[in-house]
Amino acid sequence: MEDQFATLLRPYLRFLPEGEEVRPDARLRDLGLDSMQAIELLFDIEDSYQVTLPDERLNDRTFETADSLWRAVDEERDSGGRS
Amino acid sequence: MSVTGAPDVRRLLPDVLEVAREHAAETDEDARFPTEALDALRRSGLLGLLVSAEHGGLGGTAREMLEISDRLSRECMSVGMIFAMHCQQVATVVEYAGEELRASLLPRIARGEVYIASVTTEPGKGGHLLTSQSPLAGDGEWLHLDRMAPVVTGGAHADGFLITMLAPDADSPGQVSLVYADRDQLDLEQVGGWNPLGMRATHSVPMKIVGDVPAAQVVGRHGEFREMSTRVFAPLAHLGWATCWLGAAAGALSRTLRMFREPDERKKRDLRSELLLTRLSRIRQRLDTVHALIEHGLVRYTSQAEGADLSAPPVQLLLNAVKLTASEQCLAAVDELVELTGMRHGYLRGSKLALERTLRDLRSASLNYANDRLHQADGALTLMDAEVRFA
Ligand SMILES: Cc1cc2nc3c(=O)[nH]c(=O)nc-3n(C[C@H](O)[C@H](O)[C@H](O)COP(=O)(O)OP(=O)(O)OC[C@H]3O[C@@H](n4cnc5c(N)ncnc54)[C@H](O)[C@@H]3O)c2cc1C
Repeated sequence: MEDQFATLLRPYLRFLPEGEEVRPDARLRDLGLDSMQAIELLFDIEDSYQVTLPDERLNDRTFETADSLWRAVDEERDSGGRS
Repeated sequence: MSVTGAPDVRRLLPDVLEVAREHAAETDEDARFPTEALDALRRSGLLGLLVSAEHGGLGGTAREMLEISDRLSRECMSVGMIFAMHCQQVATVVEYAGEELRASLLPRIARGEVYIASVTTEPGKGGHLLTSQSPLAGDGEWLHLDRMAPVVTGGAHADGFLITMLAPDADSPGQVSLVYADRDQLDLEQVGGWNPLGMRATHSVPMKIVGDVPAAQVVGRHGEFREMSTRVFAPLAHLGWATCWLGAAAGALSRTLRMFREPDERKKRDLRSELLLTRLSRIRQRLDTVHALIEHGLVRYTSQAEGADLSAPPVQLLLNAVKLTASEQCLAAVDELVELTGMRHGYLRGSKLALERTLRDLRSASLNYANDRLHQADGALTLMDAEVRFA
């Protein structure tokens, strides 16, 4: 997971104590990501990484941890899922 | 016995239905819990419908749970809801409780000794299912509960409670744990009465709940209620409630049709009236729509056994549509029945059609987990599915 991705995630995790870093196993829902914010985060990712996550990836497993989300983004980048 | 060798659960119903029917008007009038119907359910073994035979239960299915909820709700929707919600709690215990809790609790449920009430709503957060503000305290061996519960159906009569609490050491309100507690493990204080418009026989009272339970009484892993809710708790709530609403409306329609077909009544109205036929058709159309949605939702729910992912937005949207549509259409159907039958049969208390009571009961449907709240969630899910796939 690259640093830039952690920085992008940070504002969506309002229950992550200030100064603590976003760890790959950080559980996004537990740290405050609700369904409305998940949508905003998705748009943010798509803008920053110029990828589109396909609908079938948009499930609880993808949004489970920082790492699971990062892997989805990374794989789409590699497979050319550019928007 | 059915061909599969499993007991035919429908055979157990007539006694319960009769008791539910007998006390429906009076429990509504007095806003009191239908203890007679609960006793009949205990005797019938149906409280253990979803408990496996290995634990002494009937080993029934979600489909059978819905069939029975439908039949009960045709007599008394409060009894139907009490049964459906109990089964929803039992299904969650069966699926997620640890071996120790399952071994001690499930046989008691099967014997009809334990009716389980549901505690999810909290003051402040309202109905929001996936958060909690009441932290569980504990020392690893014991869990300490202390929370307010503003609406607990059957709270004064339940033998056990499934309670959502904030997980120990939670970092956020979304880390919710589910805990089982026996009545005698708790100090329960009923802090108010119950005098609502409808669903009066659910006797859904406000309670203060305090107590200590062994750590093994957590159901599922701490903080993981969201997953349990996605897979079992919420789908069975939506399917169960929707079925009760459909049953209540179907019962109202059936009573009305029987009356229309009585020889005396036939003389009083023109059954070929276009207005009457159109109204009947529209009412029936509403109920068939709800029925089809429930059937489809049930198929998706049971497809988990083949590995289907219930968290996918199209599936969540479908299961929410079951609740939203049923809550609107069943109420609308009975409202139209009132219009059709008129003042005497439709509006007066004490009419044998009980349309007035059914209408009051069904008015709760949109509030029982607020439709507004569900629409917010659905809006976000809809944005997640740009392709617009259907489950
Ligand atoms: C007959 C009956 C039996 C019940 N039994 C139980 C029980 O056994 N155990 C239990 O725990 N609970 C029970 N409940 C409570 C139920 O599950 C809901 O939690 C409760 O009805 C919702 O309470 P609320 O109106 O405070 O809802 P809230 O969901 O807090 O809503 C309050 C108001 O805000 C609106 N609103 C809510 N969220 C949003 C949003 N995101 N956007 C816009 N508007 C919003 C709603 O429309 C509503 O008008 C029962 C309710 C009924 C009617």
